[in-house]
This record gives sequence, C-alpha cells and structure tokens, in this order.
Amino acid sequence: MNSLTQDDTIVSGHWEQYNRLYEDFKYMAEAISARVHRVKGYTEAAGEIAKIVNELKIITIVTDLSPMVRELNLAVSLDGTGASVHADNLRQLAAGADMGISSADLAIAETGTLGHYADDMEGRLVSMLPPVHLVLVRTDSLVNTLRIALERYKDNVSSLPAYLTFISGPSRTADIERVLTIGVHGPGKLEIIFIDSPGGAIRGGK
Amino acid sequence: MGVNEFRADINKALANENLRGALGRFGDAYVGDRERAYRNRDFNALREEVSGIKKYAAEHMEELAGRFTEEAARRGARVYRAATAAQARDYILKLALERGVKTVVKSKSMASEEIHLNKHLEDAGLDVTETDLGEWIIQLSGQKPSHMVMPAIHMTRGEVAGVFSRETEENIPADIPYMVNVAREKLREKFLASDMGISGANIAVAETGTLVMVTNEGNGRLTTTLPPLHVVIVGLEKLVARLSDIAPILEALPRSATAQQITSYVTMLTGPARAMDAQGKVVEKEMHIVVLDNGRTEMQRDPVFRNAMQCIRCASCLNVCPVFQLVGGHVFGSVYTGGIGSILTAFLDGMAESKDIQGLCLGCNRCKEVCPGKVDLPGLTTELRNRLVQKDGLPLSQRIILEKVLPNRKLFHGMLKAAAKAQKPFTGDDGTMRHLPFFLAGISGGKKLPAIAATSLRDLLKDTIKSSGGERRRPVVGVFPGCLVDFVYPKIGLDMVKVLDRMGYDVIFPQGQTCCGYPARQLGAPTVMAKVARQNIDAFWAGKPDFILTPCPTCTYALKKIYPELLLNDEQYASRAGELANITQDFSAFIFDRAEEFQSVAAPQKGKITYHDSCHLKRSLGIFREPRELIKMTGAELVEMDWADRCCGFGGSYAVKYPELSQQILEQKINNINKTGADVVAVECPGCLMQIWRGLSAGGGAGRPSVRHMAEILADSI
Repeated sequence: MNSLTQDDTIVSGHWEQYNRLYEDFKYMAEAISARVHRVKGYTEAAGEIAKIVNELKIITIVTDLSPMVRELNLAVSLDGTGASVHADNLRQLAAGADMGISSADLAIAETGTLGHYADDMEGRLVSMLPPVHLVLVRTDSLVNTLRIALERYKDNVSSLPAYLTFISGPSRTADIERVLTIGVHGPGKLEIIFIDSPGGAIRGGK
Repeated sequence: MGVNEFRADINKALANENLRGALGRFGDAYVGDRERAYRNRDFNALREEVSGIKKYAAEHMEELAGRFTEEAARRGARVYRAATAAQARDYILKLALERGVKTVVKSKSMASEEIHLNKHLEDAGLDVTETDLGEWIIQLSGQKPSHMVMPAIHMTRGEVAGVFSRETEENIPADIPYMVNVAREKLREKFLASDMGISGANIAVAETGTLVMVTNEGNGRLTTTLPPLHVVIVGLEKLVARLSDIAPILEALPRSATAQQITSYVTMLTGPARAMDAQGKVVEKEMHIVVLDNGRTEMQRDPVFRNAMQCIRCASCLNVCPVFQLVGGHVFGSVYTGGIGSILTAFLDGMAESKDIQGLCLGCNRCKEVCPGKVDLPGLTTELRNRLVQKDGLPLSQRIILEKVLPNRKLFHGMLKAAAKAQKPFTGDDGTMRHLPFFLAGISGGKKLPAIAATSLRDLLKDTIKSSGGERRRPVVGVFPGCLVDFVYPKIGLDMVKVLDRMGYDVIFPQGQTCCGYPARQLGAPTVMAKVARQNIDAFWAGKPDFILTPCPTCTYALKKIYPELLLNDEQYASRAGELANITQDFSAFIFDRAEEFQSVAAPQKGKITYHDSCHLKRSLGIFREPRELIKMTGAELVEMDWADRCCGFGGSYAVKYPELSQQILEQKINNINKTGADVVAVECPGCLMQIWRGLSAGGGAGRPSVRHMAEILADSI
C-alpha cells in the first residue's frame, strides 16, 4: 500500500496526486449514484457517520471486523444516534439491518471503484445484504486505474485474495424495459468516506 | 425447423409491436450510449489489445486449460472438465444429490442455459431459482432469453407485472421500482436458505486459477457467498493467460455491453473463500469449477471459426444489428442470439441447427465494426453458409443459375438480353415492371422493380471510347459497372464515362467481363465466384488499363479484397488478382482524389442533397467522407439524415429471401430520408439505389426526393 513516507517533499507531492485522484473518484462515483465524503481522521469520520445515520434514519447497523471500523469504536461514537451496532451473528442479522459498515482496501479514481479483499465473510455480508452500505477507505489507497490496481499482483500472484471485489456505485438493474433501477439484490445506497490521515491532520490542503 | 415455420416466426415477431418498440428504442439509444462510454478511450487500440489476448488464448487453449486446472486446484477448488453438455449436467446433479442439496440459487450463466441445466436439476426434484432479475422473469414465464445480456428485453412492464402477480398470488402493479423490490424480497429468502449456488464466469485466468464475474445487481456476489457449496460453469473460450489480461477485457466488456464504464460489481474468485452455514458457523466452502467444452475444441481447431473464440459475449453485435432489432433473439438465434448466436449454435448444437438462423444476416458489417474481440461475423456467416452448401448442396434452381448460367458469360448475358425483350409486355408506362421473366422471377416477389434496359451498357459502349486527347496518351480507365449498372442502370455507366472523359481519361469497357461473383459467394458457392473472377481478370488484363473503376461498392470490394484472397493459391492468377486489386477503386473516391481536376470542369449546382452510406462502401472500404465532400463541391447543400450508415435492407439477394424484413428496414430508411427535406438522396451503390427508389415510389411519391447515383450527380454538374 502507498503508505506515507517521512520525506516532506515527497509527502506533499503525494498529496497533490491524491487530491487529484480524489476529485476524479468523487466525480465518477457520484455519476453512478454513490455519495462521497472526505474527512481528516477517525474523529471526524465518526461524526460524518453519525450525520448519515441520522439523515437516513438508520436503526440497526452491522459492521465488519476490519481495523478501520474497529478504530471508530462505533458503539460509543454513534451512541447519540440511537442506532444499535452489531459485529457478531452477522449471518442472522445482516439481512435485517438498515446499514452495513465496512472498509475497502483500495479506490480506483478512473471509474469511482472500491476494491475489497473480501476473504472475510463479515465484510461481504455487511456490504451485500443491508440496503445501505457505508465504506471507509484511506485517501492514500487511491490509484488511477484498474490496470494499476492489478499490477501489484504481477510478480506475486499467490498473494491474490480468494475473494476480491470491485464495487462501483450501488446495485442496479435495467432488466425491465431497460429502465435503470437502483438497488436490486445489493445495497441501494452507497456512502463512501475517505480518511486522509488516520489520527492526523489533512495534508496538502483540500 | 421447417422453412415455413421459420417464416411464420419472423412474421409473428414483426407483428409484435412491444418487441419492435423495445428493441428499436434500445438499438437507437445504444449507439450513442456506447460512443459516450468509449469517450476518452481509443476503441481501436483497446480492441487490438483484447483481440490479441483472446487470439493468444484460443491458440493455446489446451495449455491454458491445463494451467488453470492446476492453479485453481492449488487454491482449493475442484475442477471438472466436461466434454459434453450431458457430462456437465450429470456432474452437477450428482454433486447436488451427494451433498443433500434441496435448493439452488443461480446467477446469470449463458453456459448453464446452453446445457439446459435447470430442467435437468428440476426433473430430479431440486428447487432451482434464477436470481438475475431478467433471468428470473424468463424462468417464471417459461421462456428462453432473447438477448445474451438483457434476457427479458422483449417483455413490457405490463407483461412482467402479470408474471409476478401469478408467482406471488398478489396483484403486482406494472411499476418498475415496485417490481424490482418484489424481486429483492422474494429472492432474498431464496439466497438465505439455499444449499448450492451456481454461477457463470466472464473470464478464467490460467496463471492464477481466478474466475472473474461481471455483474450489476449483486446477485452474483450473494450466489457465490451465501451457500456453502458453489459451482461455477465456465466455457473454455473464457480462458486468458495472465492476470494482467483481464483489465483490457474489463474495460471493453461493460462499455460494449451496457455502455457502462464498469459494472457495479466485478468479483474475482481465486479458490474457495470462507463460508458460514445458516447458523453463522464458519464452514469449509466447497468450490467446483466445471470447465465446459461442448463443441469448443472443435471450434478452436477450425482455422476459420477459431476467430469466434475471441468473442467476449458483450452482445454489441446484436445491439447494432438491423435484423435483430426487428425480430429479436427468439427468432434470430437459439440459446445464444444474433449473428454470434448463429455461429455458436453451429458448433454447440450442430450445423443443422443454425441453418435458418444464419440466413438472417444481411451482411451489412455493422457488427464487425463494433466488435471488441475483432470477430469477423459477416465473414464467418459466409463461411458457415459455404459449409452448409458443401454438406447439403444448393436448391436446384440456385444450382442451375450458379453452376451453369453464371460462369457462362454468353449464356448469362444472353438470358438478360432476352429478358429485356420478353419483359416488354410486363413493363408499365413508367418503365417499371412487376414480374421479371425467367430465372429472375423470384427477385421481384410481385414488387415494383426497374425494367431491364433495352440496351445494356456493354452494347452502348462497345469496347473503347476513342481518345479525344490527340497525340498525347491519356490515362486509361477500365470500367467495371457490375450487373445492375450494365443491364438495368446503363445511364450511370454513361455518366461515369462523361465525367472521366471531361477530366481527361480514356475509358475502356472490356467485353469479356461478367458478374463479379459476389452473389454466388453469398449463397455459399465460392468456387463459382473464383471461376468468374478468373474471367474478369482475363478481360481486364488484356485491356491493360491504368485504373479500374466501379460504381458498385460490392464489385469494388470483390475485385479489391476478395479476388486476391480467393485466388491466393492459384499459381496462374494470384499475382494478377493482386495487381488488378491495386488499381481498382470506387468511382467517387477516385474523383475525390482528383478533386481539382473535377472542380476545373464542374459548374456550381443548387439544391439539398442527403447521402446514404452503402454498407460495403463505408464499412468494407472505409469510404464515407469522399462522396460527401464531392456533393459539397458541386455547390449543393449536404443535409445529413439520421442513421445514414444503417443498411437500406437490400443486402443483395436478401430482399428476395426475406422480403418482409427487407421491407421493414427500408421503411425506416425512407422515414429518415423524408425527415431531411432533401431534394435528392445520393447513393454510391446501384443496389441501394434500386431499393431506395422502390421505397420512395411506393408511397406514390411525386418524385421528390429522387434517388441518384453519385455518378449522375457529378455528371449533371459538368
């Protein structure tokens, strides 16, 4: 992953690049009916999630067990919303929940796509079954194209996860009279939150 | 299927307003949507990449299948190679029974349609549910998919509401979002409870044993995640060598299929991931991959049809096909529909099955132009026709014409001249007739046709137009008018001569020339075409022209592209065919290349002209700009019609074979022409001219707009 380096000049170069990639991503993802948010760190992320939970009148939330989601400590940070948060018994609970929260591992700017190494069953269940899917992703995991995203396996094909998903916007169909309808078997709403610097300040301006 | 039943199906489809409305609207919207999806993308560069990947994979199919099997097995999947549809069905059923499976959910898989899996499983008592919305509608209504990507495109929302109401025993309104939600709820129960998931795959990567699925609804992810047992059916043609090969295919497939940059979900499965049983306990997931042959090895071994292995199943060939837009996939196709369907059917179900279907191809080449895998569907359709003729022979009447009459120029032309005399009693006052004499009778089908000219171009021109350039030798143009201009529209030939003469060219008309032979090739008799090709080469070789010009794009295509291919292994003729091909050119393109010479003799004209692209001229020869520029040079106003490059429905003998279809396509063309308000429709093809003339005069039109060949338009401006 493109982790931040110690060298300030490189870092600021990176951030110009990520700002550009983010703008491209946002444009493309919104064109296919996703909503895209960007925050500095986890505290702000939790606040953004609470806003969305209130806005969409979410009552039950299921989450995966990824480090990013755990870091948010949602049971506490969403306390004021009145929503309940569950990270276990997902096979039973996910289908009846109003929102699933999980993290993605990379984002592709060109098409507004999220990449998810989904070997864990939890991440898949919470991203597939509830009508709203909220995804956390690091801003510095943005890459330009799918080709670049796949290049990382070029010399290391055995590191391919068993279940790799690319998600672009909510579930959709046009099977009846070619009329586009959002939300068939998967989520009808996709909320994406980019986190610039887990625990730190936004870099390079926005 | 009998010929009459097939015709009845065509007529039924044509009478179905819902079907034609849905397909027509889609076809119109698709062209622009697809173009927008490819904005900022070099389609030609991408299709080179995609077709290169697929071609390599087809050439190394066995090797890749072996590697795929090893890698997938190493990652924990069980791979079964099914030689036949029956083997695939039996394997899956046996597995289901052994594991005590009661309920099965399926995501969309054309391969499972191909092997008729549902029926096999249901006959054994399993509960099988299609979960792709379109496929579910099809399953509930007991139909077959009519399109590879959009299976239920032929149905209206009202029809779907009827199907859903029956299934749910509730009164479901014909409201699309409501019905989509009904599907979500009903199918959700199935997903959560099912024992086995069956899916297809769009790509299989040999290097990693990875399967790639491209979906929009999310049913593919649920099918591959919820049931602890997952079966993937993947055809051998889906193999690619490397992981990096998937990106170009993923860039082309959604853009060409549904005009999306990417689909909502792209799922890459490399061996089984973890699963949970219905109680939430983490269990070992079982993944079985059925690698389906069922005729694909035969296709791959065939030097010509291997090309069809480059198909990525985007169905863009259906979406741009003028015939598919009229009749849909239930007539045009079997399990796989449209032009690609007729080729696949021949190998997966047997040659005989595709006999009727392949005949529906007009040869307009639109599909070839948009194919991201560079599959030459019109070429493969012609080859399929050849094989069918080799196997079954031609009908007697066609055999006599093709084998006895056409190769014998004197007999052929003698019959045409006799026809010109014999038709007199049948010719109307306006120089048209309704019945052609002799063997041509079948062509008219009772429709108004132009009469055969009293004097053919070859008799009007004799051998040579004497040079008017005095001592200085002028360049010599050999005119190859083609049958229609020679015998029906000699004036077009005379106008060519007029323009060329004024521009400073001598013209010769080698009398030994005959039909270009293309119709014989279209009917499945390439050897007859080779015979007349040699006669034409002899005729022009003797005349030693500097250029050969034709007013007929099909003849140009034949001389320029097909003769050298057809005679490649003919020691005596191969090099001559090549040399003549090099000096052969379409009339308008030749004049355009010498625009200054033309303008120096032309006088400005007035009026509004719209231009219709002939299929062969635009798509086989790449000429569409030149005639338009020439029209502007005459001083006339060029107004573009909608869909100028859509076929007029003539298609050579097509108008004879399928008059109903030809007529419908013609009517669309005439509407688009009339909307322009032009005085003249310019064409560069005598076949289009005849067809459009027929369409324009059918409405009793008062001669406006008139249809004219470019040679006539250019001659008038001199």
